[in-house]
Amino acid sequence: MSARRGPRPTAERLRRLLVMLPWLMERGEVPVAEMAERFGLTEAQLVSDIELVSMCGLPPYLDELIDVWIDEGMVSTGVPRVFTKPLRLTAPEGFALLAAARVAMQLPGAEADGPLARALEKLAAALGDVVVVDQPQPPATADITAAADRGARLRVTYWSATADGASERVITPRRVFLDRGRWYVIADDHRSGEERTFRIDRIEQWTPTGEVDEPRAVAAPAADEWFLDDDLRTARLELPASAAWVVERYPVRAVEHAGTRLVVELAVTDERWLRELLLRLGSEAAVLSPDEWRHLGADTAATLLARYEGAGNDAS
Amino acid sequence: MADALERITNLVALLLETRSPLTLEQIANELRGQYPAGDAALRGAFERDKAMLREIGVPIDSEVLAGSDAGKTAYRIDRRRYELAELELADDERRALQMAVAAARLSDGNFGLLKLGADGNASSTVVANVPDDAALPVLREAAAQHAEVGFGYRGRARTLQPYAVLLRDGTWYVIGHDLEHVSVRTYRVDRIEGDVTIGDAGAFERPADFDVRAVFPSDPKLLGDEPASRAVVRVDAPRANWVVGAMGEGAVQRTYADGSVEVEVPCANLDAFRSWLFGLGAHAEVVAPPEVRAAVVAWLREMAVAR
Repeated sequence: MSARRGPRPTAERLRRLLVMLPWLMERGEVPVAEMAERFGLTEAQLVSDIELVSMCGLPPYLDELIDVWIDEGMVSTGVPRVFTKPLRLTAPEGFALLAAARVAMQLPGAEADGPLARALEKLAAALGDVVVVDQPQPPATADITAAADRGARLRVTYWSATADGASERVITPRRVFLDRGRWYVIADDHRSGEERTFRIDRIEQWTPTGEVDEPRAVAAPAADEWFLDDDLRTARLELPASAAWVVERYPVRAVEHAGTRLVVELAVTDERWLRELLLRLGSEAAVLSPDEWRHLGADTAATLLARYEGAGNDAS
Repeated sequence: MADALERITNLVALLLETRSPLTLEQIANELRGQYPAGDAALRGAFERDKAMLREIGVPIDSEVLAGSDAGKTAYRIDRRRYELAELELADDERRALQMAVAAARLSDGNFGLLKLGADGNASSTVVANVPDDAALPVLREAAAQHAEVGFGYRGRARTLQPYAVLLRDGTWYVIGHDLEHVSVRTYRVDRIEGDVTIGDAGAFERPADFDVRAVFPSDPKLLGDEPASRAVVRVDAPRANWVVGAMGEGAVQRTYADGSVEVEVPCANLDAFRSWLFGLGAHAEVVAPPEVRAAVVAWLREMAVAR
């Protein structure tokens, strides 16, 4: 955890104290630096909190309610009276732990009877077994993740939506992430020499080349962050109320209400993606701008229609 | 006057230590000089302290006294409800949880880890962006305690006996018995309007045979009531591998010499079916049944004439 600077709210300090004190009491004596690092505080912040609680007291134990002191870089505690056990988990903490464990059980590499499964069983027994996560992985996910752990190069056949065709590439996977129900891998793409993000469900074939690259840390983007690139183009769409799911499903830059209809600004990664979206939305949706995309939906529909009508066995 | 942190730490210790509940006057007397003088100022400061304790999850019991102090409220903290239940996690289990929290990046998880004796410093090659929603902890708690919840949804008040919360395709759902519809219903958590209210624990029993996955099938194309439940779709060679990989060989009805295939696809939910179909662009065509094919043609035609 990283330490924050500046004044800290009392609630935040107390929340931490109620966890730090029992932890300290279990150990008796801990270096200031280690304790500060663990609890995400600067050493000065930790020292000021410890000095403050050492003055706490209730009659008749005025100065010895919480028997803690700092000496020569060590935090020490005497015989504990109160705060021997941490405060129970709050509802948000309990939920976050349970959900994280459930999600992680569906990540590549989780073992059905491994330590996480055992931890989850204990958590679920204490907090109720009521969180279910159903997040299937595309077939390549486990191998890609294993390659990312080792920096192993893979030769992959990748379906590119932009090119509308499969291509062969050599990539070094760096980080695998799940966003909005889809799996992605950030990888070094040796064809372009750049870092690229690939959708794992579009990787059709994959084999190790046998080469291994130096490890390189790549941060995973936060939700939505990677759609907020200023280089991406923006399309303004007018939608019926029934298409409000677009706002939840895709990162939108702005939403306005026009009567019962919505006007949204969407970041467009590539034109083919917009075409697919327009097909799903149907005739009730309209592109307002840019001009070159105004007829994209109609033109795309006409192209697909030609396939049905040209076949000569159209039932309608 | 003492620092607010010192006072509130003393307050927690006092309420944990006391054998019988204490009135505000008794509390102020024990913590002499730490609360401001004057009834209104004292009451105000104490209420702020209580609100802060509630915010960080300290459970304070209150009761209205009888006898000589009749009508006064007295307070204490029940140690059994205050203290973390011992989970007896082994070291490797704690580390596994640490990795899980690092992967799922739910912000409250790190603090939960500290309470369990693990620290939040871990990293993971795999990361999942799991949507967070303020209603989720309440819904989880209610489902675990068998308490009814109330919330607004599409402009109407609902009352639900929640059985479980489910994350699927990046969206959280709550599933339970809806008291108004008298049937099991599924609601999207991100569409819940306003706060969720929670009733008393033990208000209902969850059916022993309840299975989320059976109630709510994972393939949205199965979730619907269109008359035709399956369609046959011809997929061209460039996407055939992918479709067969995703649906399994069992879905393949015919393979053509040019590498294209005919697959059987659920279409009980026509919206979900269209999404899937149009995701294949011009590489897919509905072959049968005629009414599904006609519906797709009509959809495209309406779009094309808008030019």
